[in-house]
Amino acid sequence: MSRYRGVKDIPEEEYVAPGSALCAGCGAEIIARHMLKVLGRDTIMVNVPGCYAISTLFPYTAVKVPYVFAVFGSGAAVAQGIRDGLDILREKRGVNNDRVNYKVVVYVGDGAAYDIGFQSTSAAIHRNLDFYFVCYDNEAYGNTGFQLSGATPYASMTSTSPPLGDSVGNEYGKKDIFEIWRAHRAPYVATISVSHVTDMLNKFEKAKEFRGPKLFVALSICPTGWGASQEDTVRIARLAVETGMWPLKEAVYGEVKHTFIPRRLKPVEEYLKTQRRFRHLFKPVRRDEEISRIQREVEEYWRRVWEKELNR
Amino acid sequence: MYRFRFHGRGGQGIKTASRIFSTAAFLEGFYAQDFPMYGPERRGAPVAAYVRVSHEPIVIRGYINKPDVVVVGDETLLYDPVADPLRGFGGGVLFVNTPLNPNLSVDGEVVTLDLTGLALEHIGRSGAISAGVGAVACKIAGFSESSMVDAVVRELEEIGLPDELIEKNVVVAKESYRGVPSFDLDSLPSLSESDFLETDIVHVRLDEGEVGIATIANLGNSAVRKTGNWRILKPIVDYSKCTGCKICFAYCPDVSIHMGEDGKAHIDYDHCKGCLICSSVCPFKAITMVREVKVM
Repeated sequence: MSRYRGVKDIPEEEYVAPGSALCAGCGAEIIARHMLKVLGRDTIMVNVPGCYAISTLFPYTAVKVPYVFAVFGSGAAVAQGIRDGLDILREKRGVNNDRVNYKVVVYVGDGAAYDIGFQSTSAAIHRNLDFYFVCYDNEAYGNTGFQLSGATPYASMTSTSPPLGDSVGNEYGKKDIFEIWRAHRAPYVATISVSHVTDMLNKFEKAKEFRGPKLFVALSICPTGWGASQEDTVRIARLAVETGMWPLKEAVYGEVKHTFIPRRLKPVEEYLKTQRRFRHLFKPVRRDEEISRIQREVEEYWRRVWEKELNR
Repeated sequence: MYRFRFHGRGGQGIKTASRIFSTAAFLEGFYAQDFPMYGPERRGAPVAAYVRVSHEPIVIRGYINKPDVVVVGDETLLYDPVADPLRGFGGGVLFVNTPLNPNLSVDGEVVTLDLTGLALEHIGRSGAISAGVGAVACKIAGFSESSMVDAVVRELEEIGLPDELIEKNVVVAKESYRGVPSFDLDSLPSLSESDFLETDIVHVRLDEGEVGIATIANLGNSAVRKTGNWRILKPIVDYSKCTGCKICFAYCPDVSIHMGEDGKAHIDYDHCKGCLICSSVCPFKAITMVREVKVM
């Protein structure tokens, strides 16, 4: 079905305008652009507090499709209201389907996906709501000063997990939201990365085939919070995929398939060293125990994948 | 009491500069209070920080609406309606970081210095101006150079900069300190209590939902806002090398690259924030960058 073979095939139409106040080099903007390019004009975007909310600061908006701003915890609940409203107009009021045939997409950060909005999302998936839920995951509450979230990876520094003394920064691991959503038996669940645009476009295109919840979690580089150079957004995202730390995969009715399988993993160090949030693992003294723990977890994951999907 | 207001763009270290200044004030034997503006954090967007310095304990809180000294870290903010650094300013000292020699008609003393140039020369990063901005404020207030250097080292150590980078920052700080004059702030007209109590709060009437909800009818109207002045380095396409591969177009976060009829990449400088992702992803190294000096 693969419709997009490379960046040459990226649709020209833009549904995001320039001039928003998001940080220079923001990953969430790149994802929003491509998401709307595939989903198209007939999309209603639901947004909640988070970085991307800055795309729309009254009286300006950078989003060129209908956009609703909801409270933090209720993105998916508002999507349910919109979807039901449109369906009622068609079924009970006899409104022509062309006028209500919108896709509803909830575009939120990891705070709203993993933590604060988790309940309403889980409930919407449970009710088999026909919607898209796309999380731009920058692994912390980036908009308010980079506080710890359920998506923050092990050993990351955040403003609420400073690596003082013997502390490693974040002592907890990252929630596996992909598996949590998959356990809901949603029709389509996928991970995407800012660096792999063609993969991203194809996954949004494929999701259109399904009726019900279509869930995406996107690695979204945050130069400001991660302490990285803004021009390195794409390079860091690519390293996350090539070191195996961010697997690109999809699950159709629970059946997992990886869309990019590295034959050999780059050392995780190459990824960690690009960001100030992991600097305490290397300076003033190198913390081999923590680095090898991260490496080991990545290797164990891929060993299982290689066995299952490559019979290796 | 002296009231200092610092303006800059997120990522330039304006908050750190305000901390350097207030730490130096503390070392000089003053009471000091510093705090940044609270808002959505984003690199490149206008930010402000506030410092009060006094011989007496400071009991007042809140934003500074009538500053004695305004320190502007980014020249493009001078007439920015959102940042509005000249708001409430009159009769004091205005510092602007710029290589130009602007002829500003403001009520007060104007001081300029090219801090960005100093940062590029000694640190190699155009955004690293926190030490310079802090040092300039210290000099304007008449603090000693040793207190200033001590404050720079303390604050930069606290944010975890490596030693060699701190040393480079000290060099920038000293040069900045020596590059501006000192002022007798005690001679400024002192402000009455009522000036502090001014607020910008607007009381909004509670309306019915249909009336009261903020609605924007013109989708994509953010394009009227020119984010091009966020840029410090400007990407430039070398058309002899550009093959029109669309990779920069794919990765531009700000929709500021479009493919022209000639099949090549064109940059919209009104909106390009200068993140330079395009330059880093170009497989043909066709996008170079130059420092940009904007006209005020």
